[in-house]
Amino acid sequence: MALTSSAPCHGCATSRDEALIQLGVSPGRFDHLVALGGNPNTGKSTVFNALTGLRQHTGNWPGKTVARAEGTYSYEELRFKLVDLPGTYSLQAGSPDEEVARDFVLFGQPDVTVVVVDATRLERNLNLVLQILEITDRAVVCLNLIDEARRHGIAVDERKLEAELGIPVVPTVARSGVGIPELREAIHRIATGQVSSRPYRIADYPPDVEGAVGQLVPVIRETFPELPNTRWVALRLLNKDERVEEAVRTGEIGQLATDASAVAVSLSTGRGGARTEPRRPGEPDASSHTEASIRTAGSLALAEGPTVEAAPGEPVLRKTAQLRWQLGPEFHDAVMGRFYDSAQGIADRVSAKGLRKAKFDLDRALDRVFTNRWMGFPVMLLMLAAVFWITIAGANAPSGLLATLLIDNLHPVLQGFGAAIALPGWLSGLLFDGVYLATAWVVAVMLPPMAIFFPLFTLLEDFGYLPRVAFNLDSLFRRAGAHGKQALTMCMGFGCNAAGVVSTRVIDSPRERLIAIITNNFSLCNGRWPTQILIATIFIGTLVPAHWAGLVSATAVVGVALLGVFAMFVASWFLSRTMLRGEATTFSLELPPYRPPRLLQTLYTSLIDRTLIVLWRAVVFAAPAGAVIWLVSNISVGGASLAEHFISWADPFGILLGLNGVILLAYVVAIPANEIVIPTVLMLTVLTSAALMGVGEGAGVMFELESAGDVGEMLRGAGWTTLTGANLMLFSLLHNPCSTTLYTIYKETGSARWTVVSALLPLIMGFALCFVVAQVWRLLA
Amino acid sequence: MHPAVALLVFALVCAALVVVLWPQKGVIARLSRFRRLEERVLIEDTLKHLYNCEYTGRRATEESLAGFLGMSQGPAVRLLSRLEALGFLRFEELEPILTKEGRTYALRVLRTHRLWERYLADRTGVDPVEWHAEADRREHTLTRDEAEGLASRLGHPLYDPHGDPIPTATGEIPPMTGQPLATLEEGAIARIVHLEDEPPELFQEIVAAGLGPGMRLRLLDTSLDAVYFEADGRDHRMSPAVASRITVEPIEQEIELPTDTLADLDEGEMGRVLGISPACQGPARRRLLDLGVVPGTEIRAEFMSTTGDPVAYRIRGALIALRRDQAALIGIAPAEAVTAPVDPQPGRGPAEATARRAVAGEA
Repeated sequence: MALTSSAPCHGCATSRDEALIQLGVSPGRFDHLVALGGNPNTGKSTVFNALTGLRQHTGNWPGKTVARAEGTYSYEELRFKLVDLPGTYSLQAGSPDEEVARDFVLFGQPDVTVVVVDATRLERNLNLVLQILEITDRAVVCLNLIDEARRHGIAVDERKLEAELGIPVVPTVARSGVGIPELREAIHRIATGQVSSRPYRIADYPPDVEGAVGQLVPVIRETFPELPNTRWVALRLLNKDERVEEAVRTGEIGQLATDASAVAVSLSTGRGGARTEPRRPGEPDASSHTEASIRTAGSLALAEGPTVEAAPGEPVLRKTAQLRWQLGPEFHDAVMGRFYDSAQGIADRVSAKGLRKAKFDLDRALDRVFTNRWMGFPVMLLMLAAVFWITIAGANAPSGLLATLLIDNLHPVLQGFGAAIALPGWLSGLLFDGVYLATAWVVAVMLPPMAIFFPLFTLLEDFGYLPRVAFNLDSLFRRAGAHGKQALTMCMGFGCNAAGVVSTRVIDSPRERLIAIITNNFSLCNGRWPTQILIATIFIGTLVPAHWAGLVSATAVVGVALLGVFAMFVASWFLSRTMLRGEATTFSLELPPYRPPRLLQTLYTSLIDRTLIVLWRAVVFAAPAGAVIWLVSNISVGGASLAEHFISWADPFGILLGLNGVILLAYVVAIPANEIVIPTVLMLTVLTSAALMGVGEGAGVMFELESAGDVGEMLRGAGWTTLTGANLMLFSLLHNPCSTTLYTIYKETGSARWTVVSALLPLIMGFALCFVVAQVWRLLA
Repeated sequence: MHPAVALLVFALVCAALVVVLWPQKGVIARLSRFRRLEERVLIEDTLKHLYNCEYTGRRATEESLAGFLGMSQGPAVRLLSRLEALGFLRFEELEPILTKEGRTYALRVLRTHRLWERYLADRTGVDPVEWHAEADRREHTLTRDEAEGLASRLGHPLYDPHGDPIPTATGEIPPMTGQPLATLEEGAIARIVHLEDEPPELFQEIVAAGLGPGMRLRLLDTSLDAVYFEADGRDHRMSPAVASRITVEPIEQEIELPTDTLADLDEGEMGRVLGISPACQGPARRRLLDLGVVPGTEIRAEFMSTTGDPVAYRIRGALIALRRDQAALIGIAPAEAVTAPVDPQPGRGPAEATARRAVAGEA
């Protein structure tokens, strides 16, 4: 092994620290850094949780919209920091996920890389193990799900696998904690250098590849004499890997070599390397240009210009360019083929299948039902209806409770408190009637449904049902130029559009992901359901005899939701054929095996990762909106408040659209949250209507009335017609996303352009539809 | 305002927007095409045309140039004299011949054009039929340094997606090889080396047939009104006019050609991958390789979705759904071992090893 070389260099550890800072890890607070890699659906996050417990936090990789989790644990009085890498099939850096994983293993130089392997799919998983072993020697295989393998009649000889791979292999059932202590021990032994590994390396590539590698390796050795994995670097260079090319050009790759030797030296002293030096400010993200290559598709940033001259790695790159002429265009295929061939060979030698004849294949039976030509869709509709029903029925009581507590009880208490400490009237109004009330409203309406909907959805996801939904619906979405998984992100949008936008990360094709992000707003989110139900009850339900009212207004609401789905398809079709025509596109959809979901873990993660984060963002946006609502109603210019000025100015335009000025102003000031649209509408209606003097709580104080009938009377008194109601329902569906969602779209796409498109597209559609409906209505009436 | 009037105004506004924004035929599209008539564009296109004539051994004339640029002969004659004045060409017996400077310039334009085509194929989802037109538009927008930047970002590619060599930065380009498809002997195996992308109507037919450079085919029969051949597990029939746009290079040794594509498998059937069609490029190809669709992999079609597309395949242990148009790009042959459960070395016959090497490494 090349790790046993020369004296330590100056500042080596800090250079790794710099790399780590760029990768989002703060160095110095741990003794050993452990990376956790593996294929998707191998139970990697279960292993992660089993190792760290609740000492973890989640976030994003710097500059990427790839989720990351890191946690810590102690073993033998040493602190281990565990970083969860994204689940990938390979490290060829073809997607942001793969790039993140590869960069971390290569440049983050973890002391140990744990690869979680699904024992039931050994051959596929070993492919990734082999690719990781090309980069690092310091790896441990966690052979997970051995119980499942046993059930399927598959036996894996882990001793033999250990001998084949040359690194420790620990069989585990992470779900029940079996093998986790042994895994900790193995990590510890590798980290402290108690065992040395002799990892399996692929030797015999096709002759032309071997020839090119053989010629390139000496050149690399000459330039970077201490680099341990020259063959891998040669292969990556021949495979035109931009990140590795950059690292060679700048000499960064040589730095890795000296770092590695520094670690080797420090290992002999029994400590995990001198990593307590002060951190230095991180340099610009080195991986940003590779990322840009994925982002910019239509327009190309050519800022890099011609290659840097006299850079340390230039001879290597020149030789690479020369050698590439000798390789066929299917070079990449051949390399991948070798990985899979070797993986297959090893898997065949260490495992035996079909030891027990499976009596009943549950997965197959479930798939027969879920993807059946006749039963597939009914079962799906039933499942989704159940989820929605549980959400709506279950959220009612807690929502009412929260509203009573926060709005009916706590609000007067706060007002009284303001009066008691003699707060000026305007400050008390701004803080308690504006900021507090808006925030309280958002929390009361939003929290309970999300806290029920998201865990339910996650349970279906973990069980493995949701990928089947995407599978069944894909042909529908394909025709609109979208990905089947958009069905899932759309459903998520019914809970909350911001969460729906985040969930588009499951779509790994850039074009389809953008489509899903931009069109998510067409899913009627739970902030808009109450508006729809209230307005339908008042204006649609009253058109028919009382015993039909409930059914008719419910049908109207469902109709609006379905119209949203239709608009989503139209918009997807339009986008994929115009603005997004040039974006790159791929399709693949893994149907993971069905697994019983884990209730507690699901509750915890969906509460932390989805509900609380989205709620926090919504609150952050709602608070200032409350202030604005209070201010526009209370600041007077020339005898009338700002709100009244705007309303009388916007009224003609509103009437043209079949709406009115109050609704338009409500949608302007209530951008942050759809939940406060109705309270704002009511407050503004009272503000501008002389006939309604004395109703409500005063200027700038949002309120709701006890019964829908009272609201209806009040709105009709202010000149609302059935057309106003119908168009409000349409406009509530088709308008710009709330600012929480817009902010999330900006974060996810990193592009102001797509954020603007997401805001304007539904708004224009809404204006056009309301306008046409209003004119046709008036023509016929 | 009366509702009918309002609706009428609305309809007029919509119509106006459509007229302005409609792709290819709208006002904006026409204006941007008008910009193409700038002098630089005209000169570069002329050089390209002359170079193409020289490379393929045709004679360039004022008529051919006027036809190529879509203008009348008068301006074409003026354009040629302008180029002569610039020192890019000279007349020999009334035939315009490129000078050394002219050829260097033409090669640089060609390089930029083919780099852009490579970029469109590898990094974007632009439809293959539009690569040429899009590259035609973009080739005039880059400076020399920018073109080199593009080349380095693409990893200094050697061939464009139509199989044509990309001239090097120093202006070297290998001579044209291969022969028209119809001149092959019956039963001969050959590799596609070039697809002519003009005129677009004929190229559209080639693309629709799923052909691409690097693809192997076997000629079955030729007659006066049709050429029959099999490629990537599918039989093709093509008119001689289209077939003449396909240039091939015969392959001497015997290799195994795919008999079917993955899309031909019925539920429960199994096939052995011989290779991914060269028509599948860029990220889509990388994804398939990462999933383990490599020569030698045995894949079973497990079940269809509710609507019949996509289909779930068992690929190296995992259940992966692929769309039919993707599956149609994966060439297969019948699987060798029909699920022998405890087989120490399944699917490793010497014949298969040869086939695998042939498909993977031969190109």
